[in-house]
Amino acid sequence: MKFPALLLLLLSVNVSAVTTETDSAKLWLERLSQSLRELNFTTSFVVVKNNQAEPYHWLHGIGDDNQELEIFARLNGPRRDVLRQGDIVSYIEPEQEPYSIISDDLRTPIPTIFRGNISNLEESYRFISVGRSRVLGRVAQLIRIVAKDNYRYSYWLWLDHKTGLMLKMAVLTRQGQLLEQIQFTHIEVSEQLSANLAQFQQSELPPVSKLNSNQPKQQLNWQVNWLPQGFNIVKSNQHSLSSYNKHGDKKVEFMLFSDGLTEVSVYVNPSAEKLRAPEYASDGATLVYNHIIQGIEIGIVGDIPIVTAKRIAESIGVANTTKANKPSNEQ
Amino acid sequence: MSEIKSESISSLVDNYSPSTDDTVSAHLVDNMLKDEDLSETWQNYHLIGDVLRDEVPQSLQLDLSDTISAAIAQEATILSPKASTHTSSDEVYSDDELLAEQNTLIEQQTNVVNASSRFKKAVSRLVKPMGQVAIAASAAVLMIVGVQNNVHDSASPITPSQVVQTMPLAGYANPVSFNLQSSQPEKSQQRQAIDQQAINDQKMADRVAQQRRLQALLNDHNQQIKLGSNIK
Repeated sequence: MKFPALLLLLLSVNVSAVTTETDSAKLWLERLSQSLRELNFTTSFVVVKNNQAEPYHWLHGIGDDNQELEIFARLNGPRRDVLRQGDIVSYIEPEQEPYSIISDDLRTPIPTIFRGNISNLEESYRFISVGRSRVLGRVAQLIRIVAKDNYRYSYWLWLDHKTGLMLKMAVLTRQGQLLEQIQFTHIEVSEQLSANLAQFQQSELPPVSKLNSNQPKQQLNWQVNWLPQGFNIVKSNQHSLSSYNKHGDKKVEFMLFSDGLTEVSVYVNPSAEKLRAPEYASDGATLVYNHIIQGIEIGIVGDIPIVTAKRIAESIGVANTTKANKPSNEQ
Repeated sequence: MSEIKSESISSLVDNYSPSTDDTVSAHLVDNMLKDEDLSETWQNYHLIGDVLRDEVPQSLQLDLSDTISAAIAQEATILSPKASTHTSSDEVYSDDELLAEQNTLIEQQTNVVNASSRFKKAVSRLVKPMGQVAIAASAAVLMIVGVQNNVHDSASPITPSQVVQTMPLAGYANPVSFNLQSSQPEKSQQRQAIDQQAINDQKMADRVAQQRRLQALLNDHNQQIKLGSNIK
């Protein structure tokens, strides 16, 4: 008599525990997003991938007029910085002149979505609060962002109990193989804007280039017929692949898709070769896939497993005029 | 006489010189080194002193000097034959023809020759990638850990290990190694080697082209994400 009641009680506790786990995980991620937008912090972190480590400095603060100021600086090798004053983002890179664009997106090792609206990820990922551990000498809460399907990777975040900031991040396959990780080595949160950022606030960024408006959306005569659930088109255009070979640039038709957390690029161009077997390479979690079938070269780049890239590549077909560039999101 | 000597040794062990004159104790030490009985006494007094002071180690080894000298002797016997195998390979080869009297000896020597040719091969195998590194580096392709889908790779008999060094975004080199084991034994025929060289050069060029292709895609992917959306 007592036993079923106990079982029922146990079950209900379990169910509520699962839901609160998800809820608390989401609360944690929302707190992260808020901290990344509102706190003055000075951090250092190391990106570990391909058996090597790359150190970075990351500063963030709120300047005059509540303007967000941010600096990402890679510390090894030639300078490669990302600077931000409000919605003006500047990239300083060895390959080209420094330039600025108006964007709410920053291309850094830390995915931009973590400062944005976490709910956008719920279509493709589940949030699980796992437990506490010790990272960077602090109490950390481990939150897993787990892909709902087999077509993308999972992300583990260790968040600081005190500030809500990130202490560690790992990108893993569904089987649990570690592909890439970011380990913070120093975190300092201050009331005041740090001296570096105060100085940065006074400095002028490179002129804003009009690249965005120069690349109008173009109707392409091919389309991607399959993408994992949750991927939406971000942009499409025709441009040249620079540094492709000695003979000069190569024109490609291009589409970019995103599921909120990760991006996938699709390149299509006619080729002189008729056939080339699939070849691929990986840079940490990023996969580069390329093949030629019937004189058409297809390239796929993104933080996705090889099966996903293959399936996307195979799904590319002649555009259907009625629903051009609209991939159907079926599993 | 020996009583007195024993007494002076005892004093010496206790760090107390029997006479203020240093020459006496020096003389005593000289005597002791010559006389086996006296040196044994010296040893025993020390042992007695250790026991009295409770400084005897857990496992009492009464005579270390023997084991030490034995160890030294053993060391020497290990070292000497090793040194002999290190003799230059070329000399051994010419000697080989002269000293063709004993079959066993010849066998031994040819073994050495085989080993040395193997060693040479390893060296040339090491040198070859260096040139390839230069080619790849000049291409200035970013680090990609490539997975080869090339059908020819698995079919060819000899594929020397290659180290392709490419340039990552940062500008420092990342090693990308395609380590393929050679399946053919040490019979290196020159013609075959030349053919292989041509094939390898071709493969190398293919690989550089492939890395460039993939690298261009990766760079462009990153660039396009930075530039943001044009669909609003």
